[in-house]
Amino acid sequence: MNTNSNVYTVIYTTIVVVVVAAVLALVSQSLKSRQEANEKADTISQMLTAAGYGAKAEFGKMGNTAVLEKYASEIEEAFTINPSGEKVADLPSGKVFSPKELKALNYIIKDAEKAAEAELPVFIFKNGKTVVPIYGAGLWGPVWGYVSFENGTATFTGAYFDHESETAGLGAKIKDDPEFQARFVGKQADFKAEERSAVFEIVKGGVSGEAGGVDNKIDAITGATMTSKGLDDAIDTWLYAYKAYFNANEAPESCAPQGENCCCSGCEKSCCATCPCEKCCTSEDCTVSCGPECCSEQCGCCGEGCCETKSEEE
Amino acid sequence: MNAKIKETLLNPIFKGNPITVLVLGICSSLAVTVTLKGALVMTLSVIVVTGVSSLILSILRNTIPSRVRIIVQLVVVAMMVILVDQVLKSFEATYAIDKQLSVYIGLIITNCIVMGRIEAFALGNKPWPSFLDGVANGAGYGLILIVVAFFRELLGSGTLFGFDILGRFGYVTNNLVILPPFALIFIGCIVWLQRSIQKDLQEK
Repeated sequence: MNTNSNVYTVIYTTIVVVVVAAVLALVSQSLKSRQEANEKADTISQMLTAAGYGAKAEFGKMGNTAVLEKYASEIEEAFTINPSGEKVADLPSGKVFSPKELKALNYIIKDAEKAAEAELPVFIFKNGKTVVPIYGAGLWGPVWGYVSFENGTATFTGAYFDHESETAGLGAKIKDDPEFQARFVGKQADFKAEERSAVFEIVKGGVSGEAGGVDNKIDAITGATMTSKGLDDAIDTWLYAYKAYFNANEAPESCAPQGENCCCSGCEKSCCATCPCEKCCTSEDCTVSCGPECCSEQCGCCGEGCCETKSEEE
Repeated sequence: MNAKIKETLLNPIFKGNPITVLVLGICSSLAVTVTLKGALVMTLSVIVVTGVSSLILSILRNTIPSRVRIIVQLVVVAMMVILVDQVLKSFEATYAIDKQLSVYIGLIITNCIVMGRIEAFALGNKPWPSFLDGVANGAGYGLILIVVAFFRELLGSGTLFGFDILGRFGYVTNNLVILPPFALIFIGCIVWLQRSIQKDLQEK
């Protein structure tokens, strides 16, 4: 047979391609469940690492079953919220988000029209850490990861990031360098920020020592400017989407320094919970009446000119 | 074992080593030799890919239209690479290592050793010798990988297969060894060593 004729060549290549495609499809389908199980265990160990249960490498040695058990015993609550900060639904037990699902969610968050319909996952662990995912574009491919906050406040307690194909030794440090991830601990996200880009900052050239404002800056990675920028953008985009949820949890900071009559001088309700002024928040001071806006459940009591409605209710 | 088969098997290990003599596959050998485990998994992957794709293409060698020869080779090699990657992802023990090697498993397809051996050997020889040639070349590549990885992990991290070896004697790890340039220096030293033993490789 003439193996150089056009007809033969076309038929031959077609058969080769179809056979190869069939083999690959078959293998891919039959291995899919195993791969997903591995990916899930990996995702869970990333969340556990961010929540401060140990180093990522140790979870890798534990094996999938042990990681799943650890997660099942340590998770307090897992649910989704909408961008207004309200809880939408509980997540099914053991449900985690694969990078693909985060990618899909990332498109929704960034799309101005659909953003309001986003259902964002929140994971609360028994040690009081609130863990949320982030996802974005690095230099060569996607970067994603998990950041954890203390009791739903704006203070970071840990972070773990992963990437698809950042440069080994440079951008890959977001994953491989525990020291970089440790830079987040104790920093804060600025959920009050008007601009999305001001929520958190990974700064090139080092954080300057100037005081004031929210402590929301960390050092970027030397030699990995684009990866650092990408990660910064990912954190900004996602945390901005979560801001209503976190703001609802935290007392407005502007209230704190208002001094003695904090609870009585018309500051917000939520301020009273963390009100530093003993005078207005001890029960002896409750004898005097006060306006309805100040006698919240958290407040318990008020200073001069308050507690009118409270005594009526009782 | 007849002499020809023996020659096919042993030549790529030392005398015709793909890395030190043919200087192929340098890029990936710089990238995956940071840990012994990574080097070992990469070695096995390359052996499987070179061996099996040489075997398949040798069986098909008389039917392949010569004009699309390279394309058919590429399709078969790509299939093998994807299969290896999929299998590595499916097992708990290899999932993490597959993530660590990330793109380099996929990049086996661009490793000149694979296509080079198919062009030079598998298309002109019977399946069984072709298979052995593929395996031997993969092993020759892997041998250098493992030697380099042994020293890089030992000196760079003070460990072997993740177990602490030098650290317990107060060894301060050398970060230069972890970086790719050191692998190049080290491979250069191996080439030097080999050429001083094997005089016929020296240019006059």
